[in-house]
Amino acid sequence: MGVVANKKNKTITITIDGKEITTEYGKTILQVARENDIYIPTMCYLTKVEPIASCRMCVVEVEGVDGMILSCQEKAVDGAVITTNTKDLERERQNIMKLYDVNHPLECGVCDKSGECDLQNKTLEFNVSQQSFTAKDMHRPVQDWGFISYDPALCIMCEKCVRVCNEIVGSEQLQISVGGYKSIIVNTQPESDCVSCGECMAVCPVGALVSTDFKYTSNAWELNKIPSACAFCSAGCELTYETKHESIENPEEKIYRVTNNFEFSSLCGAGRFGFDFENRNAFKDPAKLETAVEVMKRADIIRMSGLTTNEEALLLQKIANQTGARLECSDAYGFSRFLKVYQAASGRRFWGGSLKDVSESDVVISFATRLKDDAPMVKNHVAMAVKRNKARVIYMHPIEDASIQNLVTRFVKYEPGSEEGVAALLLELLTRESEVPDSLKSYIEELDIGNLSGESSVSEEELDAIKGDFWKRKRFTLIVGEDIFNHPRVENIAKIIVAIEKFSSFNVVIVPPSGNSLGVSLICDLSSGNEGYSVGYNCDADFTLSALGDGDLDMPALNQQEGTITTIEKRVVPLHVALGYDGYILNDIAKALGVGSEYTIDLTQELPKEAGFRGVAFDDLEIGFSVAGEDIRGYTLEESESEGSLELEEPEELPSFDGVVVYCVNPPHNPNPFTQKAKLTKMEAKLVGTQQFATAAKLSEGDTVEFEIDGKKFQRVFTIDTSLKGTIALNPTFDMGLSAFTVSSYRFSKINIKKVGSANE
Amino acid sequence: MDLENLKDRNIGEQKYRMLDLEPTPTTGWGKFKRVLRRSVKLELLVGLKVTIREMFKALFMGEMHTVKYPFEKLPISPRYRAIHEMKRLLESGHYRCIGCGLCEKICISDCIRMDTRYDENQRKEVSEYTINFGRCIFCGYCAEVCPELAIVHGGRYETASEQRASFSLFEDMLTPIDKLKEQKEYPGFGAVSPNADENIKPTPLAY
Repeated sequence: MGVVANKKNKTITITIDGKEITTEYGKTILQVARENDIYIPTMCYLTKVEPIASCRMCVVEVEGVDGMILSCQEKAVDGAVITTNTKDLERERQNIMKLYDVNHPLECGVCDKSGECDLQNKTLEFNVSQQSFTAKDMHRPVQDWGFISYDPALCIMCEKCVRVCNEIVGSEQLQISVGGYKSIIVNTQPESDCVSCGECMAVCPVGALVSTDFKYTSNAWELNKIPSACAFCSAGCELTYETKHESIENPEEKIYRVTNNFEFSSLCGAGRFGFDFENRNAFKDPAKLETAVEVMKRADIIRMSGLTTNEEALLLQKIANQTGARLECSDAYGFSRFLKVYQAASGRRFWGGSLKDVSESDVVISFATRLKDDAPMVKNHVAMAVKRNKARVIYMHPIEDASIQNLVTRFVKYEPGSEEGVAALLLELLTRESEVPDSLKSYIEELDIGNLSGESSVSEEELDAIKGDFWKRKRFTLIVGEDIFNHPRVENIAKIIVAIEKFSSFNVVIVPPSGNSLGVSLICDLSSGNEGYSVGYNCDADFTLSALGDGDLDMPALNQQEGTITTIEKRVVPLHVALGYDGYILNDIAKALGVGSEYTIDLTQELPKEAGFRGVAFDDLEIGFSVAGEDIRGYTLEESESEGSLELEEPEELPSFDGVVVYCVNPPHNPNPFTQKAKLTKMEAKLVGTQQFATAAKLSEGDTVEFEIDGKKFQRVFTIDTSLKGTIALNPTFDMGLSAFTVSSYRFSKINIKKVGSANE
Repeated sequence: MDLENLKDRNIGEQKYRMLDLEPTPTTGWGKFKRVLRRSVKLELLVGLKVTIREMFKALFMGEMHTVKYPFEKLPISPRYRAIHEMKRLLESGHYRCIGCGLCEKICISDCIRMDTRYDENQRKEVSEYTINFGRCIFCGYCAEVCPELAIVHGGRYETASEQRASFSLFEDMLTPIDKLKEQKEYPGFGAVSPNADENIKPTPLAY
């Protein structure tokens, strides 16, 4: 992981503790040892980042080399004979432990980390029973960092938190104030909008960084661990729900915290802190079920949200087939249109790029997505590329994002609505040096570059500058995001992207919109704009089945049900039941209609093979990671190769977006109504704009405004954010309940804003 | 002595001897004579001698041996394991329990539960603590494992009540604050060893 893959792929043979191991050149001694189940103790080593080398615990002896070698840093060379355990090494390690233990508070009894603490384990392992060194103790008060609290007295300065914050998350929030024994971790902007991902907390080997909410509420060993996946965005990250009875009075299970396999994978704030969105107090009322079955029978439209598991999507499709209803999903509809055209044009089922490609590339173009908010995990991989490979990041979007300024080399602003033109410009730019077929060549030659760049306001100089960024670089990735899926010209944009993927040196990563949109698109026949009586599954409709608990019939939330979701990595991963649920589930309705199966998860096998699913039963799906750190959850969808037919159309005249324009986007730790239900991630929804926007819309800070998007009424307090630039305001949708899932228009909207209250009243 | 010897039930020299008893009369006359002899010789009173003596002592000399429970109670061993007590710190009067959860973990009948939280003074507060005495087997593990000598066994063995809950609340087990001065350490398992002071090693202070 940590180390950039070597290009030589030379096979070497080394001997560790008498065991002969054949491996590839380029791996460190520690990596090779771990992959072969040989134990080398470490304190600061974290697989997913570059070696930190601050603890010196991983020392080994290599024959013919004087002194001790740091196995985390040193690459294994052919023929090396390595010993991991001698008396000298043991003494060295014990001394290191003695130093770590100097003045470490003896508060294991109350510490949250007790029972899963690296320091505790290693102190016992190396038999350090008393303190033999001395340092003057000092007062180090606990600091409150919002979701996280930092206790410097417990900190052992392993630097893991700083590394993940910089190298994985890319927010550069944490730094070390170096001062020998006085060293401390510093939160550089405690007041700022840290991405609140909790990564620093997850990797902390001791109790220095803990969740403020979880602190002192439970011991690690009391919690039941339920492995599952986060379904909030298409990344589908691995996570573990940790549950225990709520209190002495209330024996009901409650989720206390979410942890993850931090050695190999990451989580964002939504997954880590937005966990208690379960639908409590649901119960079975046969009369209600009967009503639901009745309305389902006569429904003309079945609406759903993107936060639907593959199995439920299949159930809804079966119900629709039975009753003749049309399926609608405004999250996934645009994406499914995109995917259909993409598949037809490329002859492949899916895009070729993976998140690993992103983190290993040295040029990344992010197009049509507010990366940090839409796909925190993709942003993390961009950050890895920047930090490890000094990658150049070209961020193309109508709104500049100040919070990832440190990652972005070049911000290219285009006009909202001009994505098709920008895609065409990109096609011209990225295929300049490639061999392209004549038809494409003539298409590119016929493009009116001047006009396109004028309309989209991406100047030709900017394009040339981007070209300059590619100089001497080898691995390129294009990230295509959510904005284009609801663009009226999504089909042609899809074709242009296929052309880019086929004829340029760029890997393409498509970021599917919310949750399981990819799975829904693959399983369901979606349409939109149908008229008639509608039933909604986690989506506002005439009759609503709701996991938020506010609909006509309760449904289980995603942490209360089994199922699978499909991720950006084209992987089908399982969800498991963390909390009990006493109400009806979708399968009960399906059974009443004669299309259900005994259990919902019986459908995992039946997921359509023609869409790439492999027909594996739910109980056969793996969870977790391999020893080497590879994601082995579930399975990857089957790819298929065939001849595609690429027929590009001229970009259409671009619609202009003048006047008051807002962009629908949610903050990374509160992406949907479910995280708005969770007690930690819940927040007030505000319309955030610049002074320029305020002037244009004749508003001032604190005004209450009303406007309409897609027939949905929004009422918001307006606030000015000085870090924002441009004239477009950001409008969150997470507080709209299930109606948030019915907004289906293009993400930039021209609105008529109405002031209904002013700050001074 | 090894195991073989222990298993040998015919231990010792087999020195059995018949008691020198008069033969049991077989004739009617013989039986009559024996009844007469036993009745007239007052052998019964010989057997009751001790009883009668003690009765006189108890009735007339004030030397009663029977404990008049519940008006009187026998002293019990200080290591007796009855209903738990929660101790306080002598200095501050604050309860000793730090909420570490070890008693909860070690309890083999799974009868201890506690709720803890982060309090205003940045300490771990035990907001709720119960022992289900319907399940407790008074094994003493909780007292043994407690690192703060906070939970111990007390001497309160009368646990008949309308509700078991009467014993199991933290407040009921806690030393009443006005009786703090009378609080005694528990000498049972988990108590400080007599030579504890000698075992403590000071942290080196070179500055």
